[in-house]
Amino acid sequence: MYDLTRRHFVKLTGGLAAAGLASSFVANPARAAEGKKRVVVVGGGYGGVIAAKYLRKVDPNIVVTLIEKEKLYYSCPLSNPIIVGLRDLKVQRWGYDNLAKHGINFIQDEVLEIDVAKRTVSTAKNASFSYDKLVVAPGVEFKWDAIEGYSEKVSEKIPHGWKAGPQTLLLQEQLSAMKDGDPYIIVAPPNPYRCPPGPYERAGLVAWYLKKNKPRSKVIILDPKDKFAKQGLFINGWKELGFNIEWVSGNDGGKVTRVDANNMSVHTEMQEYKSSAINLIPPQKAGKIAQISGLADKTGWCPVNQKTFESTIHKDVYVIGDACTVTGEIPKSGFAANSEAKIAAAAIHASFNGQGEPDPSYVNTCYSLLSPDYGISVAAVWAYRNNAITKVSGGVSPEKASAVFRKQEAMYAESWYQSIMAEMFS
Amino acid sequence: MRKRMLVLAAVVVGGLWGGAAVAGPTSGMLSNTCDGCHGPGGVSPGPYMPSIAGMPYNFLKQMMTEFMKDERPSTIMSRIAKGYSDGEIDEIAKHFAGLKWGVNNGASVKGKSVDPDKAEKGKSLARECEKCHEDGGKKQDEDTPRMAGQWLDYLQLKLGEYKNDEKYPQPKKMKTQIDKLSVEDLEAVAHYFAGQK
Repeated sequence: MYDLTRRHFVKLTGGLAAAGLASSFVANPARAAEGKKRVVVVGGGYGGVIAAKYLRKVDPNIVVTLIEKEKLYYSCPLSNPIIVGLRDLKVQRWGYDNLAKHGINFIQDEVLEIDVAKRTVSTAKNASFSYDKLVVAPGVEFKWDAIEGYSEKVSEKIPHGWKAGPQTLLLQEQLSAMKDGDPYIIVAPPNPYRCPPGPYERAGLVAWYLKKNKPRSKVIILDPKDKFAKQGLFINGWKELGFNIEWVSGNDGGKVTRVDANNMSVHTEMQEYKSSAINLIPPQKAGKIAQISGLADKTGWCPVNQKTFESTIHKDVYVIGDACTVTGEIPKSGFAANSEAKIAAAAIHASFNGQGEPDPSYVNTCYSLLSPDYGISVAAVWAYRNNAITKVSGGVSPEKASAVFRKQEAMYAESWYQSIMAEMFS
Repeated sequence: MRKRMLVLAAVVVGGLWGGAAVAGPTSGMLSNTCDGCHGPGGVSPGPYMPSIAGMPYNFLKQMMTEFMKDERPSTIMSRIAKGYSDGEIDEIAKHFAGLKWGVNNGASVKGKSVDPDKAEKGKSLARECEKCHEDGGKKQDEDTPRMAGQWLDYLQLKLGEYKNDEKYPQPKKMKTQIDKLSVEDLEAVAHYFAGQK
């Protein structure tokens, strides 16, 4: 393993990567020489963009093409404050223009098919791209048929707001238009889903808004689950801040089985809840392309080698971010997707060079706001040990902390956002 | 055994994932996750998040070790630092010490801007600080971090903590100087150092 040739090679590739970093590499993919390795990345979110960037960073000779359906990207993390008027959607919106600066070939198009035998992807605009390795980072898709009466069409009346953009603004409008005294109803999804603390961050911020603007109203969370992420901190914080939030757990009959859009009501087995403001976050599965290309298993998510993120179903295809199945309790978060992308890029690079699988290091950092001045967080580090992802350290914010501490976490949340966005889009 | 592996990792380190031939994550693999909060290459675009690129190796290592041992107050850093061995912390410190300083590069938001009057006032107040943080805070050695050009918001936050928290870990000399300055004085000092490029 430690033979000279190998070491020499490592040094050499290291040197190349460093040289690439020093210059601003503007590559023309069309000019790509024969024999260069081609990686296609499907999806331009927290995972896909970082995978593309890191592949170019580690080896500027890799021809990287990123295919993304949308022209602009809207970040989900930190989009909840928009609903309560604390933030503008504009600061969540990013363009892909700078990717060219890093030598990434950006294609705005939708991938409709992956042919793993021919190693090609084909798109809605009738283009076809060949790859040596493929990275699939499609995020989540909603299970539209999981709750009776709910559909994509109904989501225009009873929004999910689980992909930032027009749905976020719709939630904002409905919150501002609702009558003082009406409940604000949030239907939380079952595990696993994108952003585990998300529905509860939203509940707190909405309650903060209601306390100021519609003091006779309260938030009702209807939940199929019996526990949720950062639960102790959320519940203590809501109490501390004097928020009016009722959480109905699965055991207490919180599972919503039916929606009546005409009547603006949601139904559990026990009760009907009615309001002009209902936010229903549907059950989720891996993004559409992962489903139609057979990358997902019967759970609806994509099984991967936990050390490399290569699909255990299709060779040379790597699935990262919300769409993949990760053990060790790594959540479906933006930061986790960022971390997974870096690991996958390292694994692809190693594979191209005939090296063994590199040892990964996984990190997650996730902030939630309860009010503009009150933040909480979860952070963890994992390592790959004894053939499994093993949590090495981490945890949530302390149960007891000063107001200054909570405020600092809120401030760090914003700075976190600026950093992770700069890593993607600068 | 683990220690020996890390020594080997140090020998072949270079590039982002250089040293992939040894056991355990490489220096680059360990450090690239830091960028998610501290900015690309440790250059922070978030006004409360310090830039760590090009900071002294000893200083970075000391910070991480103090976070790990709960000797330095933090919000999340103590939870994260515990995820690494001493050798891994050493690798991370080496990685960022080897990068180029350059705060505010590519920033898409502006933090608070430096007030020239406050900076001028801070300049005279910072005379004592400059015995260690020489050359307008640009000089750094093994234990002295760079202050020049760091985010104003971050400097204000931290100087406040150094002043208000009796147990905040800091050199005796520094505590003596900080105690002599009022909150307003320290704010002016922060403006002065943040304004140095």
